[in-house]
Amino acid sequence: MNQWLTLLQKETLEMWRNFKWIWVPITFILLGVKEPLTAYYMPQILDAVGGLPEGAVIQIPTPSAAEVLISGLGQYTTLGVLIIVLTTMGIIAAERKSGVAAMILVKPVSFQSFITAKWAGSALLMWVSFFIGYLATWYYTGLLFEWVPFDQFLQTFFFYGLWLTVILTITVFCSASLASPGMAGFISLAAAIVISLVSSTLSNWLEWSPAQLTTYGNEVLINQGISDQTLPAGILAVICIIILLSLSVFIFRKKELAA
Amino acid sequence: MSLIQISGLKKQFQGTEVIKGLDFSLDKGKCIALLGPNGAGKTTTLRMLSGLMNPTEGKITFTEAKKGEDIRDLIGYLPQFPVFYDWMTGLEFLSYVGRLAGLPAKEAKDRSLELLKLVGILDAKNRKTAKYSGGMKQRLGIAQALIHRPKLIMLDEPVSALDPIGRREVLDLLEGLKKETTILFSTHILSDAEEVCDEILFLHNGGIVESGTMTELRERHQQAKIDLFFRGKAVQYASFLENHELTQSVMLEGSRVSIFVKDIALARRAFLQVIAEQNWPLEKFEVSSMTLEDVFMKVVGK
Repeated sequence: MNQWLTLLQKETLEMWRNFKWIWVPITFILLGVKEPLTAYYMPQILDAVGGLPEGAVIQIPTPSAAEVLISGLGQYTTLGVLIIVLTTMGIIAAERKSGVAAMILVKPVSFQSFITAKWAGSALLMWVSFFIGYLATWYYTGLLFEWVPFDQFLQTFFFYGLWLTVILTITVFCSASLASPGMAGFISLAAAIVISLVSSTLSNWLEWSPAQLTTYGNEVLINQGISDQTLPAGILAVICIIILLSLSVFIFRKKELAA
Repeated sequence: MSLIQISGLKKQFQGTEVIKGLDFSLDKGKCIALLGPNGAGKTTTLRMLSGLMNPTEGKITFTEAKKGEDIRDLIGYLPQFPVFYDWMTGLEFLSYVGRLAGLPAKEAKDRSLELLKLVGILDAKNRKTAKYSGGMKQRLGIAQALIHRPKLIMLDEPVSALDPIGRREVLDLLEGLKKETTILFSTHILSDAEEVCDEILFLHNGGIVESGTMTELRERHQQAKIDLFFRGKAVQYASFLENHELTQSVMLEGSRVSIFVKDIALARRAFLQVIAEQNWPLEKFEVSSMTLEDVFMKVVGK
């Protein structure tokens, strides 16, 4: 446990030294807050930019607060995912490539701790950034539109967070099992896109897919309550995370550190 | 008493056998050099001993390891090109590694400072390792190998990348460390091995071709030898000497000719005569005993 905490501490310190603790939360704030702001100010923006013929009347229906929050969350499952993958893809692959992983692992460090501490570090960064970003989005949506109940905010935060954690774990897995960070990033993104696409097109058959957690989150926001499928989907997400982490440790241990 | 025993160690890479069955043991408290030309398999051997690579076949046994004990507790390893987290300072890296090896935070820091002083980079303790020079990295690498007071330290070419002064200092450091632990280090520089080590393992083409203490090796390969140093190239003289009746074999190296002879007294007289008669541009005439380099060439040349 002591060793695990030392490893985790190193991860968080590293993210501090390379400013991930600053730019990732800021990017998450910008991504989310952009939605309520543009939705609210769109008529003014169009006006100011001009270019519309004299007398043209633009009717933009004012979106509901839930719709604004959902489009904000949409940013996190697209650009947010990209950021998560980019910041995570190198955590194991890059250290192995540079040789520093070998320096550490000739010491009596357990492979489980090595991988899970790295995962925990990235997950911490992701959850904190997502919380701050989504909180800011919720706040501006409340200010400019209507206040969405805070418990709905928390529920959606948790559902989306779980799905993002699944993607993060896929990235950790790729980073542990592939040689190059770039390859790990590419495969993780591809996997995230494929899972989302398949889950949404075949939503009737794949109700328990972790990717569906985003849909169930959206349903909460538009006051449909929590779907019955949420719990199984959530449990499946946790199982996926555990399996992927165990596989990462297994594959990483099998691989020879010095090539 | 032996600290580690290796039997039938083999390693294959994509079907090519790089290490072809090693059997040896290392005695406690000794300094052993793993000597061999480039590509002999020195690094691969050390990587297998340190657990970074799995042997294709064979067994590595630490005599002192308790059942189920992580052998990494017992060894310190310095790779040929040590790498660190470049955003950490030297002191931070050492303390980090120390804590990973199980030292409490306070002790890890004290031990780190002690080692930084020992390897002579205490001044740079708060500098990022990215700013370290090659020599400083090598020293930090040695320090990290020692942090948990291992029973055996393995150093992969610890001095090859250093300038003469750095080399001197690291060799002196190793000399001092001999009192504390068992050292196994690989090198292709013969004089380094000769200087610090008690025992030598010659590795060539993935097998041990010769081993023993310096004195044993000398005795086994003792041969009377005369070195002639010429002004300019020595090729023409070499061919003449090769056909001389007293000569066993000749080695040519630029302006130097080494002649192995049967009887040193006879040969000395005969060669000096020839040199005087034919007026060869000789610079130095040396009757020498076998050096490690000669053993190396002989063994590798087989």
